[in-house]
Amino acid sequence: MTRRLDVVRLWSLAFTLLAGGAVLAMAVYLGVASWPVLRGEGLSFLTGNDWAFRKERFGAAAMLYGTAVVSGIALLLAAPVGIGTALFASEVCPPRLRLAVKLLVELLAGIPSVVYGLLGVVFLRTVMSDLFERLRWDAPSGDTLLTAGVLLAVMVLPTVATLSDDALQSVPSSVRDAARGLGLTRAEAVHGVVLPAAAPGLLSALLLALGRALGETIAVFLVVGRAENRLPDSLFSLAPLVDAGQTLTSKLGGAEPTIALGDPLHTAAILGLGLLLLAVVLALSLGAGALRARLALAQAHRP
Amino acid sequence: MGLLPLLLAATLKINGSTTVNLVAAEAAENLRAEKRMSITVDTQGGSSGGISGIGDGSIDIGMISKPVSQDDRKKYPKVVFTETQIGEDAVAIIVSADVHAGGVKALTKAQLKDIYESKITSWKAVGGPDRRIVFFNKEPGRGTWEVFVHWLYGHPRLAPEVKHPEVGGNEETRTKVAGTKGALSQLSSSWAENQPAVKALGIKAPDGTVIRPTNENIATGKYPMSRPLFLITNGPPKGDARTFVDFVLSPRGQELVRKHGYLRLQDLKRK
Repeated sequence: MTRRLDVVRLWSLAFTLLAGGAVLAMAVYLGVASWPVLRGEGLSFLTGNDWAFRKERFGAAAMLYGTAVVSGIALLLAAPVGIGTALFASEVCPPRLRLAVKLLVELLAGIPSVVYGLLGVVFLRTVMSDLFERLRWDAPSGDTLLTAGVLLAVMVLPTVATLSDDALQSVPSSVRDAARGLGLTRAEAVHGVVLPAAAPGLLSALLLALGRALGETIAVFLVVGRAENRLPDSLFSLAPLVDAGQTLTSKLGGAEPTIALGDPLHTAAILGLGLLLLAVVLALSLGAGALRARLALAQAHRP
Repeated sequence: MGLLPLLLAATLKINGSTTVNLVAAEAAENLRAEKRMSITVDTQGGSSGGISGIGDGSIDIGMISKPVSQDDRKKYPKVVFTETQIGEDAVAIIVSADVHAGGVKALTKAQLKDIYESKITSWKAVGGPDRRIVFFNKEPGRGTWEVFVHWLYGHPRLAPEVKHPEVGGNEETRTKVAGTKGALSQLSSSWAENQPAVKALGIKAPDGTVIRPTNENIATGKYPMSRPLFLITNGPPKGDARTFVDFVLSPRGQELVRKHGYLRLQDLKRK
């Protein structure tokens, strides 16, 4: 028996190393390959607001800004709806309806992202530009950071709902029974007991959804406008939301990677954007893991 | 098995411009059926994708809607870019139907320059409705964009940096202009024909005459942004690539060029 176990241990260790090694190798490759531009641009690769490959200037600030804004809007919209759906499915609705709700959410998750993109181009763009017109917002077209954010919100909604439902389900039913037994109403039990107990899981659902939002390419590409080097005067200005912008992924999904072939510095700059994206997503995952561990620890020590 | 010869045969890889793609895709369909050739036709990156594909040897034939530039040749010194012209079309300046209905039927070169550089931002300034101009700029690397800025500024590198939203292939350009009020973009002229929601503008010459991107004006070279359509290879086309290029140059291939709205080689009345 122990021999068999050792074989299992060996294999699982090998595969774990392979998976971890692949991530590490990718990061190292991207780092080495983008070194020429990182050395040349220095910190202005992150803070510079001028990306002009014909003049060999590579400052990605506007893309970082666009990525942050678009993902932020997506999460802001998807969080209440997704967690609300999960609460309904897990705590409120009768068991038979629960299956139907779960099925619906999973269907939503199965739609290929290019279909969302097409719906975005032919439907959401028009809806948004009509809305802007009616509200008298100064938006030139339906291709805006806000449009991309709304589209992304729908796309990450199933991630938020499914993972939040898992988190709520992981709270033992004995906890609910005890709360009800103490005379709490269902609303009080959910609010005061179930939600706090599921909090680390809900937080990790949101962070994973954010990771998905950051990396989504084709749907964002089709509705974000892809306008270069647009950065507002103030970080808190709302005007850029209703104007075209660029994200890391919409830049990488465009024509520039093919133009860059054969030009070492331009290629390095494009790979540098890939490195940025990978670094942000990795940092997010690590942060989520650390936060979850801390919250779980706090949970365990609760009297 | 029917698939086996396809798997064994070397695949002819073609990539590039969405304009040339219409012709190449249908030619490939014919050759697949008649000669059992294995051909893939793709439009990654537009003309720049065709050039870099030939440059690094990842494709056999590039489709481009602009001449190969000195900059392109300098980037790949070991590659002998060989152009075979298969037809001609033009870059049309297109607007959404509301702009056309509002009175804008033609623009001068100077007006287009000012619009491109955002010195003119309302249609009112050029005789149209009181509405903001939304310029959907073709992304750099697209043949259409290079022809446009070449005409305005003499060379793509002399074009000023602008912050307009960008569009890629012909389909996307047409859809976005059709769906946006006050929109303007550059598009292959034959893609703008007979469209209810997208209208091609004429170019107003200094003497006041308006030159529209008609087949006649493109054939004689009177319309300023006419452009050749090319298939490119590394050196003269050989083997399957030769078969393909010859087919497009044959009467049947040229008929496909005409069918998709472009000018055949025999239609050109210049030189």
